[in-house]
Amino acid sequence: MYAQQIHQYLESFFRETDCEILKNQPNFLSVQLTNDIDKKIMNRPFYWQYIEATGGEPNPSQITLITNRDALDEGIWGEVIHFGSPRLNQIFKANHELGSMVKMYENVEDYNLVPWLGMNYKISYQCDRTKEMIFSYGINLVTGTIEDNFHDRLMGVELVEDMPRTVFCLPIIVKPKRAMERLEESIERIIQQDDHSWAEEARTRWKKEIHVLDYFYEDEKEKPERYEIEVKAIEERYTPRIKMEIVSGGLFYLK
Amino acid sequence: MIIEKSSTWKDNFLERLENDGPWDRFTLYQMNAEVQKSKLITEFSGLQAPKFLKDLNILDHQLEVAQTVIEEMHGKAILADEVGLGKTIEAGLVLKEYLIRGLVKKALILVPASLLKQWVDELNKKFYIPAIGYKKKVAIDQYDVVVMSMDTAKKSPHREQIIEQDYDMIIIDEAHKLKNHKTQIYEFVQSIKKKFCLLLTATPIQNDIFEIFYLVSLLKPGHLGNYEAFQTAFSAKKRSFEQEEFLKELVNKVMIRNRRNDTGFDWTSRQVETFQIDFTEEERQVYDMLCELKNISSVFSGSFSMITLQKEMCSSKEATYLTLEKMKQKVVNPEEVAYIDEIINKLAALQINAKAEKTYEIVQNAGDDKVIIFTEYRSTQAYLQWYLHTKGITSVLFNGKFSKNKKDWMQQLFKDRAQVLIATESGGEGINLQFCHHVINYDLPWNPMKLEQRIGRVHRLGQEHDVQIYNLAIKNTIEDNILNLLNDKINVFEKVVGELDDILTKRA
Repeated sequence: MYAQQIHQYLESFFRETDCEILKNQPNFLSVQLTNDIDKKIMNRPFYWQYIEATGGEPNPSQITLITNRDALDEGIWGEVIHFGSPRLNQIFKANHELGSMVKMYENVEDYNLVPWLGMNYKISYQCDRTKEMIFSYGINLVTGTIEDNFHDRLMGVELVEDMPRTVFCLPIIVKPKRAMERLEESIERIIQQDDHSWAEEARTRWKKEIHVLDYFYEDEKEKPERYEIEVKAIEERYTPRIKMEIVSGGLFYLK
Repeated sequence: MIIEKSSTWKDNFLERLENDGPWDRFTLYQMNAEVQKSKLITEFSGLQAPKFLKDLNILDHQLEVAQTVIEEMHGKAILADEVGLGKTIEAGLVLKEYLIRGLVKKALILVPASLLKQWVDELNKKFYIPAIGYKKKVAIDQYDVVVMSMDTAKKSPHREQIIEQDYDMIIIDEAHKLKNHKTQIYEFVQSIKKKFCLLLTATPIQNDIFEIFYLVSLLKPGHLGNYEAFQTAFSAKKRSFEQEEFLKELVNKVMIRNRRNDTGFDWTSRQVETFQIDFTEEERQVYDMLCELKNISSVFSGSFSMITLQKEMCSSKEATYLTLEKMKQKVVNPEEVAYIDEIINKLAALQINAKAEKTYEIVQNAGDDKVIIFTEYRSTQAYLQWYLHTKGITSVLFNGKFSKNKKDWMQQLFKDRAQVLIATESGGEGINLQFCHHVINYDLPWNPMKLEQRIGRVHRLGQEHDVQIYNLAIKNTIEDNILNLLNDKINVFEKVVGELDDILTKRA
């Protein structure tokens, strides 16, 4: 994300979370946080514990976030935000909590809308290195048809939170729990077919290092504790693992 | 292969379906998807860290080191760049990369106490890694990244607490402090789990080839074979050129070393001059009498005390006198005492210190330039200050045991007020004296890396002049042996680790 993208991102984030934007200049933003957002991004659990325990009047923070250092030359006092800054990371985390489950309708007139379960998955391959992929899948909750790149499809459709007045929503036939299982099964199939030379290579390194280690201790009849510790370290370093994490998902009624 | 999943999200979603809400806003949903995409690590190779560290000026060789450590050395390495090339930055980059990739959650950084604050600052400010410096009463289980002094870590109850934490990554700065495998700290580091591990040292060999064996064995036991095999192959007498090449190749699989000249910067060069100085006749007489002591009294028969006295005599009468007076207390025989008293009288009568005169000459020739003098002895340090003062030259004293504040203060005084800084040891961890480019090694230590570290205080990024190094040794004394030995040690280092910048004048 570039400075300008970050600025736009922050602006939308605070607008969508109902924090009042007090000043919005090209190089910085001043914002009055709500209680909820203060709790999520300001790192002051003790303050909030105290307020809640004593029933005191909460005083959520006002912050100035500088998205371009030139603002500093203009004499603006605030926190410099860039892609790696811890504050932005917390905002990302808050965004994740606040934007991971939705229910939406396609904004059309006089249509029968079909329920879809749309899910975004993050798959990580891990050994002493990592690689991540995002998969976006949708499953038709009437017919059971599966579609990939589902998120992109959604982006091409006008969606609203409330059901349009002149549409009819078909009832859900495939149980959501079963639908999720079906989606996972199809992702698993794709993963199994993927190139896993990375895992093979990691296992080869693993074996080689154990071999070297054994040589170091070959003359010792009773292997010392540190031998076991080293074996464990090597195992933790090289064990190939695959993780599936759900980033977000929702129920979508589409024509 | 098994795919690890969690059911939290699914349960939560099903519950919301059941209750028809509450639902999140779609804009936030879209933004979240964008964020996840921008944070995605799409390749096994390459570094993610630099895009999170836009304010940090990372040099090319530092990036290369971080990448090599992660991709070729799989996270276990000795970082052995020459002094002043930014080993801390390299280590920070590797740690940051692993944190971003989620491969490291908890890390422990062991450093000399004098560098603790600097590490905490750099990790927080340069790398946005929330590291804390360990002090008493810090509950270390509350923090993911902890910086601790080596001396604290090796002792109970800290060592037990550390082991309990189960760190994913261990970084050790000034790792040459682990060269001796019989020490408590070595044994401690050996006993902790090292999933990922970096050892930082500019001087992986200080005295002999076994130091690199122990250092590598700490990192990767077996990489250089076991002790018996290593000893058979590489003990000094049997070493052949092919074996040395082979050893170097093996070592380079776990060690990265950048030299100043590799970095693409325009480094100024070093001019090394060794002055072999003649004692005055009177000094020579005292020196010879001192050498005779071992035949006269049993108190002086130990080679260590002899060597100390000989070295001190090559430094100053003040240094010699203190040791001699102390040892005299142990002598009972009146004849022996008389002999010693005679030496002491002759010492006291000495008017000229040949080495100090040479030093004065060098300082004078330096014109208005700043000069650093390193000596091994406190009494010589005091003497030199007095002596230079009589010649109208201002100086400040420096000593490795000074607190950080006092060091900063002395450094400033030297910069603004005095021509000469007289230091008793490199003490150097943490001082930078690029504004000076004359270094006099008034006494020579046994260990060439100590010399390298002294010079490194001056010859670092930011130095604009060629650095002049003057090594002083008295002819036909123990200092001849020291020079020879230093040369031998430099040879071992260069054969196994790689070339060094000039420390001594090359042997003909």
